[in-house]
Amino acid sequence: MGIPNYPVHLEDPSFQGFYDGLDAGELRVTVDAETGEFHWYPPEVVPGRPDARLEWRAVSPLGHAYTFTTVMRSLLPGDHKDEVPYTVILFEPDDAPGVRIAGVLVDDDGVTPACGMRLKFRPVEVGDHKIAGFAPA
Amino acid sequence: MMQSGKIAITGVGETPFLRKGEEHVMAMMTRASLAAIADAGLKPTDIDGYIINKYAGHPSEEIAHAIGAGQKRFSAVTDSAGGTATSGDALRLAQLAIEAGLCKHVLVPYAIRSTKPGGVYAFHAREPQKAGLEMPAGFFGQPTYFASMANRYAHEYGMTEEEQAALPMTYRAWAAITPSAQRRDPMDLAAYRASPMISTPLRVADCCLTTDGGGAYVVSSVEYARDLAHPVVAVQGLGLGYNNYPHGVLFSQKPCTFEFPGRESAAMAYAMAGISPADLDLAQVYDGFTISALVQTEMLGLCDVGEAPRFYAAGHAMPGGKMPINTSGGHMSGGYVPGINLLIEAVRQLRGGEGARQVPEAKLCAIAGLGGNNHSTTILARM
Repeated sequence: MGIPNYPVHLEDPSFQGFYDGLDAGELRVTVDAETGEFHWYPPEVVPGRPDARLEWRAVSPLGHAYTFTTVMRSLLPGDHKDEVPYTVILFEPDDAPGVRIAGVLVDDDGVTPACGMRLKFRPVEVGDHKIAGFAPA
Repeated sequence: MMQSGKIAITGVGETPFLRKGEEHVMAMMTRASLAAIADAGLKPTDIDGYIINKYAGHPSEEIAHAIGAGQKRFSAVTDSAGGTATSGDALRLAQLAIEAGLCKHVLVPYAIRSTKPGGVYAFHAREPQKAGLEMPAGFFGQPTYFASMANRYAHEYGMTEEEQAALPMTYRAWAAITPSAQRRDPMDLAAYRASPMISTPLRVADCCLTTDGGGAYVVSSVEYARDLAHPVVAVQGLGLGYNNYPHGVLFSQKPCTFEFPGRESAAMAYAMAGISPADLDLAQVYDGFTISALVQTEMLGLCDVGEAPRFYAAGHAMPGGKMPINTSGGHMSGGYVPGINLLIEAVRQLRGGEGARQVPEAKLCAIAGLGGNNHSTTILARM
């Protein structure tokens, strides 16, 4: 299996905390600093609370696959033919139901991906950046 | 609720649907518009209203200038996407304008050049949340989004490969008897299985076509339509549903990613029309992908929730079936001019005379339009 290698564009600083988390070996998502409610992906405005401040919070590395697909033809801009196939996962952490983090399935020899499969987070280094990887747990 | 049977689609027109065409969007919109205006028995100078889809990229004055129109009295831009814009929202705005006396004949043009650089994926690449959090993980492009929905749907309701294949094979069977369809070559299960996999479980055959083409229609009052040579095809029901999820989170963060506001739009449309799904003679369903057409078939009430794969596998939507669907091949085999070619096909079927693909005694047709976070259901009736 391959790994997608597409540059992380952080001209928009809204997502920096996620990649800082990967560098620290954590999955971090955004919550309302006052209420603790998850708001993921980080919105420009928290619904109904334009003055609300978001902060980054680490979530459980354990969770399950909400869904997945194995990409055979990459549609990413540029030439990514050598990076397929890879299986992309929408991962739901155990302590953040409904929050979904996109990442790739790793350590999956002999494993058939499935919705609901138990997974554990493991950051994956790709070129000069990291992405979220999820291994069968 | 809007009133039923007040406006009619008086003219329809389209360009050829091509895998790769030479004309730009403006030329295709103009060509389709002139055909629709002539079909309505009108002259370009009779057009005094315009509904423009913002994704077409050309304002109404450019269209008006290109067709040689007269005084513009009304124009509006839909901010819905996909089929919701062209086969739902545009009709609602047209009815409001005509009933208010703002104009008499509204032109709704649309064209797409899928082969332009960046193609149909560029729209998603511009979303900051997708670019920042999804694209580096390789979660990108409509086939990938909808493939992930298909896997979740199969997890919840079950779907074999044969059942999944039945939907594109059904639409191809209709395209095979539609002279203007872009893909008319036969598709059996072996041909389906030979189709390249894009993102599991979606093959090329499960995806809408890449099309350069345009379509247009004219909306007028029912009173005007009665004086035309064509049978009157009136808007009997119209419903729109919205879920308010921004495009940046639409394919990953909704509680159920394959849920669209189609049940809401269908309920409104059936109530306005005063009919139930059992009264329909045929339907046109926005088929960006097999999975999106499956769930909309359920949302229209044409089969039970979770049963659309078995519904198609039983042949119910095929030529001669109890509920013909996408009778010109839909977007997956007929051509992908989002939403508008489905509406045009509905009008042609209700007028009658479509040869081998004509649905006998077609009087009521539902058109489901999907725009992602919005959905339309339109019910057209031959009066």
